[in-house]
Amino acid sequence: MAAAGTVSPDRILHDMAELWVSLGKQGEGQAGVLRACSMTLVVAADESDDAQSIGETIAALMPEHPSRAIVIRLRVEDQRDLDARVFAQCWMPFGHRQQICCEQIEITASDASLPDLAAVVLPLTVPDLPVILWCRSPRLFHLENFPRLAAIAHKVVLDSAQFPDPAAALEELSRALAAGHTLADLAWTRLTRWRELIAQIFENRAQLANLPLVTDISISYRAAAAPTTAYYLAAWLNQGLDKIGAHPRMHFASEAGEPSGRLSLVELRVEGKPAATASIALAEGPAAELRVGGLLSKALLPALTDYSLMREELSIPGRDPAFENALAAAVKLA
Amino acid sequence: MSLENPFQDPLRFERRVPECAMVIFGANGDLTKRKLLPALYRLAYERRLDAGFAVLGISRTAMSDDQFREKMHDAVKEFLEDSPFDEDVWNAFAQGLVYMAGNFDDAAMYPALDARLKEIQSNRHTGGNVLFYLSAQPSQYIPIAQGLAAANVGKGDGWRRIVIEKPFGHDLASARKLSAELHSAFEESEVYRIDHYLGKETVQNILAFRFGNGIFEPLWNRRYVNHVQITAAESIGVEGRGSYYQEAGALRDMIQNHLSQVMATIAMEPSATFRPTSVRDERSKLLRSIRVMKPDEVLQNTVSGQYGPARIGGQDVPGFRQEPGVKPDAQTDTYAAVTFFVDNWRWAGVPFYLRSGKRLPKRVSEIAIQFNAAPLEIFNGDETTTAPNLLILRIQPEEGISLKFLSKRPGAGMQLRPVSMDFNYGSSFGERSPSAYETLLLDAIIGDATLYTRQDMVEASWTVVDAIQHVWDETKFDFPNYAAGTWGPQAADDMLARRGHVWRQP
Repeated sequence: MAAAGTVSPDRILHDMAELWVSLGKQGEGQAGVLRACSMTLVVAADESDDAQSIGETIAALMPEHPSRAIVIRLRVEDQRDLDARVFAQCWMPFGHRQQICCEQIEITASDASLPDLAAVVLPLTVPDLPVILWCRSPRLFHLENFPRLAAIAHKVVLDSAQFPDPAAALEELSRALAAGHTLADLAWTRLTRWRELIAQIFENRAQLANLPLVTDISISYRAAAAPTTAYYLAAWLNQGLDKIGAHPRMHFASEAGEPSGRLSLVELRVEGKPAATASIALAEGPAAELRVGGLLSKALLPALTDYSLMREELSIPGRDPAFENALAAAVKLA
Repeated sequence: MSLENPFQDPLRFERRVPECAMVIFGANGDLTKRKLLPALYRLAYERRLDAGFAVLGISRTAMSDDQFREKMHDAVKEFLEDSPFDEDVWNAFAQGLVYMAGNFDDAAMYPALDARLKEIQSNRHTGGNVLFYLSAQPSQYIPIAQGLAAANVGKGDGWRRIVIEKPFGHDLASARKLSAELHSAFEESEVYRIDHYLGKETVQNILAFRFGNGIFEPLWNRRYVNHVQITAAESIGVEGRGSYYQEAGALRDMIQNHLSQVMATIAMEPSATFRPTSVRDERSKLLRSIRVMKPDEVLQNTVSGQYGPARIGGQDVPGFRQEPGVKPDAQTDTYAAVTFFVDNWRWAGVPFYLRSGKRLPKRVSEIAIQFNAAPLEIFNGDETTTAPNLLILRIQPEEGISLKFLSKRPGAGMQLRPVSMDFNYGSSFGERSPSAYETLLLDAIIGDATLYTRQDMVEASWTVVDAIQHVWDETKFDFPNYAAGTWGPQAADDMLARRGHVWRQP
């Protein structure tokens, strides 16, 4: 290990090489281990963040998105301090004889050492593959030197639902986007199933014919104030309807009950034509009810875990124009 | 100008699925219960179907809509694989399930079917789009086609398509007759001949592997490829289907359709686009390039086999002729191996060995592409140090791709050993792969025929297979010629040995 309070990327890379040698020796006489890597996933988290939960999420992501994972845990401290360890995440796919392993590097650092971090992380990223930075805390996003770390990444993933003020969060994300970062917001990712259901409703030609006539859209949520997801959904719906010349009134409503921050209803109405109403409403448990042209059907809309949200985002290593357009419009709505 | 759905997001959403009704002929049969309804339920679970999607089941058995729903509920619960069953989702999906009893030979049934479809169109907003699925006995395909044509049910307000299961005839002449009858009600572009092999993720991945990567295609020709082996082995016997199977045999049941389609996918030229017509044109061209054997070439380049009794794992296993419903002197091939040559510039002289059989040691389907050995042996080693490179594309059960190559053993000296670089489809992409029926049903609803077989492809493969079958029909084979649980007759090994090759043991 390097001198106390510092880490050497060369040393970490050497430790990783040794790790693979030892894994190979463990596998001798059997089918051995298989090394897989499709990206570098950098996870920046507060030290108070649940380490076990982060580890489990990364482990769950590995089979689909095998990565070199670099977990940076930052603590509030003025003294510059860095430490690192390497280990492997391995799994044996069901029915297979060969373990598949990915590398994980854990770096603990103080806030004060954030300026040094980019220089440590950069040489640790896997050449020729995308680098995704998952920033799990708004506090880190606001640290002065965070942009230096973000500059390493091809894409930065945030969750605006964790920001205290939704409108301010959208403003900040919009500025980061304007600064040239490729961004993803897990609050937008949470909307994918809602948006997909809405899009599917209007694949039906009879329902599509009603779309230009939509006069009112209602979006309800289980929170005291409209969360960023509500603004994103409204912005996305407005943009879609604008393409076909419809300009409905938008209504936001807070729904009583446990403030989970989730959306609970989206309804597209045609004034004077109740049969043309299309709605999706959360029902009991993970179910949602779709009412379309008098027909009722059900779909599952469970609350999504970090794993399922990140799984979707890691599948899109580049820009997401629909998100960027929705963000720009959501800022104006908020 | 027609209105476009403004809410689509191809980056994140799955493909767009239009509204439609599906009519299943043979709704009380095994295929419906084991494959079709579980696949449809799964699509509903994944929110892939329109809210008004409806299924009209037809079979001879008298049943109410509720009884049909109950029966399908139990079937889906029993046969759903790799997925949870959700009662709420089922209840919503089951509202679209309806049933009518009918005899497919009865002309009066078809106007009644038409009336029922109009009712569904009105109640479920299906827009007049109908997918007919023939899950019936092959002998009923023609009466159904004739009934649909006579009542003009093959045409309507929306699109109409028909999906049929193999066999597409039992020889070239019957395949043409079936096609002509289908064309009396449907255009060729509306006929979807399903080959569930082509719906398997790994078979589709062959296209991605070949045409999405730049490094393999330059090697994909006679200059670098020594030969290709395509194996589809089953460990089970005929499992109560003896009377059907003895009329079919492995050559007709597997090689004429599944394996020749896989071979076409492996050997076809790159298509200019990934559009159904382009891809199917290239597959068809390849099938038409397979050299048709002359009668005196058949026995040198093919092997017919039939399993005899054996003891496997402490259990006595009957031979084919001892299976229920099978004649004691049946000449049916439960094993078929053929050597094909493709007469085009890319593949001239490269043997394609295809084999398929029942009661082989294990269930496995794979394609092995053996490359030429290095032109000069400079390491003075044994045969392991001259092992040729092999590219293995595994279709089932462990879908994936392996590349075998030589590497230096660590330590002093220059000893080589073969190593394998593996890509496991299931573990590299942890998400559940859709079943072949999910993929293919969705394709048919969307109108994507890329993975379906076109009539010219059917005729091309029958032309090749008929030439073999005619000789086999006139030959009295000394069956059984392999024991259950072995890799087939010795003659199959001899067939490869004549060209200096050996079957790979999967």
